[in-house]
Amino acid sequence: MNTATRRMDVEHAVEDLRHRTLSEIPRSLDRLIYLASMRDYNTGFYYHDGLASRFTQDVACEALADCHREAFNQLVSCSLRELVAQMEEYINSTHTSPRSFVTAWRKLEPYRVAVPVETDPVVAHFLFSSFKIALAVLEARLRSAQVEPVA
Amino acid sequence: MIQLIFFLAIGVLLFASLFFLARRNPRSEGSSSALIEARQALVALQAGLLPVELVKRIFAKEDWEYVRAEAPATVRDMFKQERKKVALLWVEQVRTQIHSLRRFHRGAARSYAKLNPKTEMELALSFAGLLMACRALQTAIYVAGPYAAPQMVASMANAASRACKVSEECLAFLNAAQLGVLNGPSAGQATL
Repeated sequence: MNTATRRMDVEHAVEDLRHRTLSEIPRSLDRLIYLASMRDYNTGFYYHDGLASRFTQDVACEALADCHREAFNQLVSCSLRELVAQMEEYINSTHTSPRSFVTAWRKLEPYRVAVPVETDPVVAHFLFSSFKIALAVLEARLRSAQVEPVA
Repeated sequence: MIQLIFFLAIGVLLFASLFFLARRNPRSEGSSSALIEARQALVALQAGLLPVELVKRIFAKEDWEYVRAEAPATVRDMFKQERKKVALLWVEQVRTQIHSLRRFHRGAARSYAKLNPKTEMELALSFAGLLMACRALQTAIYVAGPYAAPQMVASMANAASRACKVSEECLAFLNAAQLGVLNGPSAGQATL
């Protein structure tokens, strides 16, 4: 398969992934986490059975990597206000207690394994730093909500 | 006898010069590693560090205004420290990559690219100016925080982008396929 044909297949796979799966995941934070979870930590390759059956494993892997980079770039370009809002909505969607969520994310920093490979270290550092600040904002909000007198 | 000693001496001299030539620094003019380093520096600057959106986000004042309005003093302090760290890291990385490009243009570029003396002089001046601007910006951020010199950030990023463009034109002859050959067989593998 030549490079141009392969690139076209990847473009089709990206469209397929966007249409069938990613359209159901509106927030870039959720998309980033979802796509990072498609990656094998031991090899760095992405796996998606449905996409691989419609195309090939290699094409599916490259399409998932493209979408992962896209979600990452979208999240990096969010303002801090947007990031905090996305995190709040994400917490609500997980049905866990916000306090437990914030504590776990502060300790485990799971976002560190969600970045695509070959991301510029400065860009990755910027996003990690924004997550850290967003978690601090959310924690402060939770604390102030706790001390507010009940009406 | 004197002739024999004379020719032996010439032989030894030739051998010694060959030996020193063979032991020359691998980064010397024309080495593939210098080209790869320059190409990587260009990619790091153009794709990683200098896109306008990223520069705007790192130095976005709206984030500070949001934190100032929404968060307590401890979070505000943390925000300032975090953004200062990121801003300093950004300037340091830009400086490092500019250094790499300058090293390439000072040495190896001459053997590959057809640069005219005027372009070479302009590049040398812009690299020198950029490195000085990086130092000044680092000092400003270190002393007064990430929002100390927004104009300086913008003009430095623009000047760096312009220098990259000129440098890119000099490296245009080196396409991805050639880089693959220079990197060895593994460079042709698919990226994730």
